[in-house]
Amino acid sequence: MADNGWVTTSSNPAAALAIDVAGVRFAYGDTVAVDDVSFSLPPGEILGFLGPNGAGKSTTIKMLTGQLRPGAGTIEILGMDMPGQREEIQARLGVCFEEKNLYLSMTGRENLVFFSKLFDVRDFEPEPLMERVGLSARLDDRVSEYSKGMRQRLMMARALINTPDVLLLDEPTDGLDPVSAIGIRDLIRNEAARGAAVLLTTHDMHEADALSDRVAFINQGTILTIDTPDNLKLEYGRRSVRIRTRQGDGVHEQVIPLDESGTEDRIRDAVSAEGLMTIHTEEATLEDIFVEFAGRGLAG
Amino acid sequence: MTGSRIGAIIRKDLTEFSRNRFFVFITLLVIVAYVAVFWFLPDSVDETVHIGVSNSVLNTDVGGVTESGTAGFALEMYSSEEELKTAVEEGQNDIVAGIAFPPDFLESAAAGETPTVRLLVPAGLPAEIQLLLEGAVSEIAFGFAGLPPPVDPITEAVVLGVDRAGSQISLQQQMRPLILILVLMVETFALSSLVAIEVQQRTAVAVLATPVRVVDFLAAKGIFGVGLAFSEVVLLGLLIGAFAVNAPAVLVILLLGAVLVTGFGMIAGSYGRDFMGTLLVSMLFMIPLMIPAFGALFPGSSPTWVKALPTYGLVQAIIRVTVDGDSWSQIAPSLLLLAMWGVAAFFTGAFILRRRVATL
Repeated sequence: MADNGWVTTSSNPAAALAIDVAGVRFAYGDTVAVDDVSFSLPPGEILGFLGPNGAGKSTTIKMLTGQLRPGAGTIEILGMDMPGQREEIQARLGVCFEEKNLYLSMTGRENLVFFSKLFDVRDFEPEPLMERVGLSARLDDRVSEYSKGMRQRLMMARALINTPDVLLLDEPTDGLDPVSAIGIRDLIRNEAARGAAVLLTTHDMHEADALSDRVAFINQGTILTIDTPDNLKLEYGRRSVRIRTRQGDGVHEQVIPLDESGTEDRIRDAVSAEGLMTIHTEEATLEDIFVEFAGRGLAG
Repeated sequence: MTGSRIGAIIRKDLTEFSRNRFFVFITLLVIVAYVAVFWFLPDSVDETVHIGVSNSVLNTDVGGVTESGTAGFALEMYSSEEELKTAVEEGQNDIVAGIAFPPDFLESAAAGETPTVRLLVPAGLPAEIQLLLEGAVSEIAFGFAGLPPPVDPITEAVVLGVDRAGSQISLQQQMRPLILILVLMVETFALSSLVAIEVQQRTAVAVLATPVRVVDFLAAKGIFGVGLAFSEVVLLGLLIGAFAVNAPAVLVILLLGAVLVTGFGMIAGSYGRDFMGTLLVSMLFMIPLMIPAFGALFPGSSPTWVKALPTYGLVQAIIRVTVDGDSWSQIAPSLLLLAMWGVAAFFTGAFILRRRVATL
């Protein structure tokens, strides 16, 4: 389907859509936060919403969770209308919020058991879930005693209580150390492999690149493009080779674009020259491509 | 399923409340302190006015004044004016004033002269009481002199309303509604703090991202708030003997009072940005809400606008049942007023909290 003029590719186009957003708009007073946003997401796919702070990522998530009602456009989740069938949808949603909105005076176990009751999950056992996020040893500690990263992992565990069909993750690895972040990314991939549609927002290009089947660039409330990271890099990125050679007492460095005429000769000359130190191939990052689209970086 | 979700939220709130050392401390402190204060207060009223009299020559001639003693005056005799002054200044024997007769009082009175009698009053004695005592001086002086007063009409007192002569409301009884309302107010702050924490930490957002409806969330807060305030005020009521008369009526009054303060708790919690902010907003509600209860300590002192305060019906209903022993039909107007304010406050609180949660 067409998303703001861009062709959407899907890893599984034949499957029914888990999320189908069409022409959604939301404004805080006179400030338009999200404008004519459209995208779709089949089950089992991870879509990364990539954009700087204030781009409209969290507002989009809030509309998907039913917190905000769109001013225009339609949202269908699992074939149901949001917010018209809010409760039915929410029963099958898992949400990891950007803010660590946990009950601090309660233990990890109590937090999970409480939310399992809200989801009406029968015979809920928190241990396996806490094991998956590496918190089984802290199950009965109060959340106030958890580190920031542990709280984030508990947030992920909470999002999985109801074995959701759709996961909405707002900055899911924010504040995590690299090892914990890898664990959470594995968890997200496993959920997608199980069949859950995953929409994650992030301003971390590495995260989006590592996790997403597709990424959507969003800036100033508008989706600029949606595609797979590889397609974006191939289509909009510049590939090059960086060669460093020793010349006398100094070091000479040259960057040779791979997509220009005469590239082969230039590389051959550089490699055959005396004093060759290093050769690196380089490809554009998602941030480079984002800058091309938005005219600004992802930071801030 | 809605019921089980509401139940889960209530149990969660109870867990949070019980783990908050401040709330638990305040709750226990309030119960212990107020009960102690209540039982230390005098449970009877001494209606006799004690007056000191100096002049040793009068000591043997007080027969004429004894009757005055039965009418509300009791005379304490002092041998000298200096001794009387000290007694008045120090408030010895509960005397509120002293009358110093000159040494030649009886002779001057017998000679038809006008002797000067000095009325000794402590600083700060209300002017009205002083005027009353000046009038009493003449009566006492005539008694000592063995003379009839120039005019001695028969005074027939007609009391409009409840005649409290001989059965004055004790300070303990007067304090009962104030203590009950103070406890309800404290629980207003406890609930508002819990609501504010839910709003500030945005845990309400997480709850409302589940199948829980906003109305379930509000119902849980309302039930928890009413339950918390009602259970504590009933416990305190039991400890201060508030259920000695017409217990069912007192229970209904306290339940409506709990509904009333829960509404204000939800409003305060919706506007509180942090602990101090919640405390400030709660105080803004607590102070005016306590005025009718303070007014009950000084009957007749409250201006008309106090009747417009939401807790006026609550205070009146409690007083009329626990002090006056009024029946259901007699307290119906106060009860109706309280019920109207309770419903209005509760739904206003729920409406404001709903709006607050919706904008998180």
